[in-house]
Amino acid sequence: MASLSASLRFVLVAISFTLLGGQPAYAKLRVVAALPDVADITRQIGGDRISVETIAEGTQDPHKVPVKPSFVTKLNRADALVVQGLGLEHAFIPALLEAARNDRIMPGAVAYIDASLYVKPLEVPSSQNRTQGELHPLGNPHFNLDPEQGKLMARAIAEGLERVDPAGAANYRDGLARFTALLDRKIAEWQKLAAPLRGLKVVSYHQDLIYLANRYGMQLVGTIEVKPGIPATPGHLEELLSTMQREKVKVIIREIAYDPGLARSLAERTGARVAEISSLAGGLGSKGYIDSIEADLRALVAAAQGTSAG
Amino acid sequence: MRSFRSRGLPRAALWVGAGLVLLATPNARAADSEVERLRKELGQTQQELSDTKQKLDDLGQRVDSLQNAPPAPATAAPMETTAQPGPATARLAPVNVDNPAISFVVDTAFAHDARNSWGSIGYPNGADFALKTGELFISAPIDPFLRGYAAINGTSEEGFDIEEAALITTALPWNFTVKGGRFHADVGRLPHWHDEALPFSDRPPSIDRLIGGESGSEGVEVSWLAPIEHYIELTGGVYDTIGAERLGDLNDNGFFGRRDFSELTVLGHPHTYFDLTDTLNLELGGTWFGVPQNSQRNVYGADVTLRHQPGTSGVYQGFVLGSEWYWNRERFTERDTTGLVIDRTRLNRQGGYGYFEAFFDRRFSGGARFDYSESPDGVPDLARTGSVFLTWMPSEFQRLRLQFDNTWGDQPTNQRYTIQWTAFLGSHSHGFAQR
Repeated sequence: MASLSASLRFVLVAISFTLLGGQPAYAKLRVVAALPDVADITRQIGGDRISVETIAEGTQDPHKVPVKPSFVTKLNRADALVVQGLGLEHAFIPALLEAARNDRIMPGAVAYIDASLYVKPLEVPSSQNRTQGELHPLGNPHFNLDPEQGKLMARAIAEGLERVDPAGAANYRDGLARFTALLDRKIAEWQKLAAPLRGLKVVSYHQDLIYLANRYGMQLVGTIEVKPGIPATPGHLEELLSTMQREKVKVIIREIAYDPGLARSLAERTGARVAEISSLAGGLGSKGYIDSIEADLRALVAAAQGTSAG
Repeated sequence: MRSFRSRGLPRAALWVGAGLVLLATPNARAADSEVERLRKELGQTQQELSDTKQKLDDLGQRVDSLQNAPPAPATAAPMETTAQPGPATARLAPVNVDNPAISFVVDTAFAHDARNSWGSIGYPNGADFALKTGELFISAPIDPFLRGYAAINGTSEEGFDIEEAALITTALPWNFTVKGGRFHADVGRLPHWHDEALPFSDRPPSIDRLIGGESGSEGVEVSWLAPIEHYIELTGGVYDTIGAERLGDLNDNGFFGRRDFSELTVLGHPHTYFDLTDTLNLELGGTWFGVPQNSQRNVYGADVTLRHQPGTSGVYQGFVLGSEWYWNRERFTERDTTGLVIDRTRLNRQGGYGYFEAFFDRRFSGGARFDYSESPDGVPDLARTGSVFLTWMPSEFQRLRLQFDNTWGDQPTNQRYTIQWTAFLGSHSHGFAQR
């Protein structure tokens, strides 16, 4: 009888442990980040007080992240969701939230943390028309490539964490101050590093470089895609080729989530060099947001100077 | 002599050198002046460059300081412009609460059948153009606890019908969700998908015959997501019946109204998922539904889907390997001309399909399918169908598909060629369930 009772207790404990997901009662704030950039910034701000899981990987196209059931369970148990925002996650977050049954992290709820909150959007479409491709109604959402915007993202994230976990306010404010100071130092370094990019005419694969180009003075001449989200056609590529030759474009930027073939083919025909960058942190093997910006800038400078990225 | 010469040569050299210096002095003075002028010009340019750089830095700092400025107070009207800091927690697309998301799907096809056979699974003889689906899809949150959607569907053959009109709870505790109204019951994988979302130009014949087209139903469904790291979802439901064509049959026979509880259809559907590797995942499901009274009908099904979804530049490549199999055990009542029951026959029939679809790049995918099906009633009318299909997507909102089907079995072999053209107007998404 005693052994039966012990077995029963063991089973009950095991079931309870399973239902609680194996998490101790003092679990950290469980944060799910949609993309690696906001994940890294959130980690740096939250420190040991939070745990962060990421949905998309740095090598992926944020417009084409698979909707996996394993993401649903992460979101179901999340205390907060951090998105980059401006509709960048439209391909997967709405569908996942629909299945996640967690109204705390629904858009507009307290624990839905939108990193775009203080960003000034560029390329806000004046009309919502699909003849212009897959437009983001709120503006171009690829602001993470500009480190100055990174500071604004950090601020929105820190405020969001504080909103969800007021007891950790001091921790998050310290984290924000540390991250911002670090980023400021790097921004000063990058200003010198990226000097060769000023005035550089470039073609990119997707229309995602406006913030980066504005920051470092690059001129965007065209995209390999016909329109945002619309794959290249032969006619468009011929037109782009003529434009590149006329404008003397020396660098083609391929975001690593996209097919390398077209960029290489254009480079062969025009004599331009291909710079491979990642529009998300971690895509080029970088460790986080700051490393990723530096890796992108080094790749661009190397292509501009005709050397290999160091 | 040698010493004289040795003394005399330097003297001559001195004279020559002095002459050259005298001759060269005006040129050297001119060069110094030019160097001085260039130095001054360089200094001025460097100063101008430095001033310009300083101005650029100042402007950059001003822009940054403006961008870092505190957000507008909550009393400001944040929806008027996207250039201002957003509302308190999120920057969301402006939505008129009175207008739901609306979309329309145009799914049209041309098909040609070589032989006049397999009319029982929708293969008529000859060629025809058809509106396979014209679907108006409407969805919106209703209040903080409920959302709703409707799919109003028209086809060349059947006219317009309300395919789905359902309400779904959004805020029940304990991970429960309740759905009610007319909707596709949660049977397997493809039976509850809309036609235009299928990876083929047709619904697999086995699903068409055994389930009765899509899993249309009127009823109520409860699903529960296990609150653990591993994905497990359980669905249970009660319905008038399951199967769009079966529902039509029931309604045609005057079964709009009441019936005994035991004559309702009951469903259970556990469903789970495994990440095998970073890019390879597996979904497994089991389905049972039936009519309890006298075990009138019992359908058992199993579905398996293996997906390869790579990251980086191969994000548009990958493959799906999917299969479903159903066993239908059903009792059919036969009557004589006066309406007297003369026989009750219990038939065991089965069918299923397996398919492979490879995604070559962002635009093209293609694959093959094999389907085995039996008629649920009457003679088995066994059919085997081998299909190949190629899909081209000029954009995310338009699709062109070619499909060839070869069907053989208890009727003469038939070949069907189909060209399907599908386009999505507006915000069309069936969400997580039809991923």
